[in-house]
Amino acid sequence: MPLNPLPITDADVHAYVDGQLAPERAPVMEEALARDAALAARVAELQKQNASLRDAFDPWLAEAPPQRLVAATAGVAPVRRGAPRWLGFALATAATLVVGVAMGWYGRELSLQNEGTPTTFTRQAALVHALYAGDANRPVEIWAAEEQRLVRWLSRRLGFPVRAPELNSLGFALVGGRLVAGNEMPTALFVYENPEKQRLTLQVRKPTNPGHEVAFRYALEDGVGVYYWVEENCMYALSGNLDRAQLLAIGRVVYGQLAALEAAAPK
Amino acid sequence: MAQTPPADPPLPQPDLVAAIPRLRRYARVLTGDSSRADDLVQEALARAWEKRRLWAAGSDLRAWLFTVMHNVFVNQRALARHEKLHVSLDAEGEGHEAWQIPVRATQYTRVELMELMQHVGRLPVDQREVLLLAVIEELRYEEIAAVLGIPVGTVMSRLSRAREKLRAAFADGAGTAASLKIVK
Repeated sequence: MPLNPLPITDADVHAYVDGQLAPERAPVMEEALARDAALAARVAELQKQNASLRDAFDPWLAEAPPQRLVAATAGVAPVRRGAPRWLGFALATAATLVVGVAMGWYGRELSLQNEGTPTTFTRQAALVHALYAGDANRPVEIWAAEEQRLVRWLSRRLGFPVRAPELNSLGFALVGGRLVAGNEMPTALFVYENPEKQRLTLQVRKPTNPGHEVAFRYALEDGVGVYYWVEENCMYALSGNLDRAQLLAIGRVVYGQLAALEAAAPK
Repeated sequence: MAQTPPADPPLPQPDLVAAIPRLRRYARVLTGDSSRADDLVQEALARAWEKRRLWAAGSDLRAWLFTVMHNVFVNQRALARHEKLHVSLDAEGEGHEAWQIPVRATQYTRVELMELMQHVGRLPVDQREVLLLAVIEELRYEEIAAVLGIPVGTVMSRLSRAREKLRAAFADGAGTAASLKIVK
């Protein structure tokens, strides 16, 4: 390496202390440090200053990040003015939950229950609906154009066959779907949209209490209507910001299609 | 009627989460206050998502996030100036008293480290920022220049001034632990 023998500059000193001195300057610096006691003392002082700065500011790295900042990494669209009060917290919690399950966050088992949020199934369904149906940018992971791939993937992950009902006759087109990492077990989510940009979600997952069947039930959670039913092996929740009658009509169609598919499926 | 998927891929979420402690530290150095720092980080993350198409996948995410946050901070300060909010804009540091004192002390006592933080807090923000990025985050001078949008020469001169001010402050034996107000 050709030597650069120019005298040591102030910039050289800083670069040396920060480990950024150009290699061709290194021999010149070493020689100057050996010869010039004042220079050596200055370098030592700067190195000590560096070490103490790191000692002072490194402990901050050990702090656990606050939940709202973890939630902010999910890229969820901000809550609109006028949205229900619990929505902001719920969005943050749900986003944290999804991240937490994906990352095994600090080894803690994050669950909605631990966080103190309402944990009824309908509340969860409404929360998931609000989180994804309300996301303008990325409501789904796999789009309707790849419906077959979506359905195959979700079926594999849930461990049983799932289908996206066909709701075009009701004005709702399939936008796509995703997997939601729920606090107990994975949930398949299908998102639909009508020409008025109203969105519906259908959530499908294994029931918490297998064998405990529930006929059509309706719940209203802060403007989000949820129709849900539980069959022997499967729970369904149809959610939307629609009036109850409309949601019921759609629910009946969904139920009918899924029942027909179930009946037709090879046993 | 199928929807058209958006063109912008998402930012890698685990990497974003991993960057939060460094972002918070940088934000505290900028704002001098833990609570305002977290607000700044949150704003920076939102802005990063908005502008994610500007990040080249595989390039240094941490440096890009620093750039985004630096720009958010600069814009906020400009806005505050414009709206004549009560923000300390003099060349000396603002509100550094609210930093938490470090819990770990090695060869330096807690008092020494507290004093050091106090002196850093009194540096002009431009110098504080360069000091943090060079010494604490150990970015290369060229990277710092890119983050702050300034020439490398300016990075070097701010770094040099910051170090000289700290050296002089300790040489004078200035600063007393008793005057440091400790706020969470």
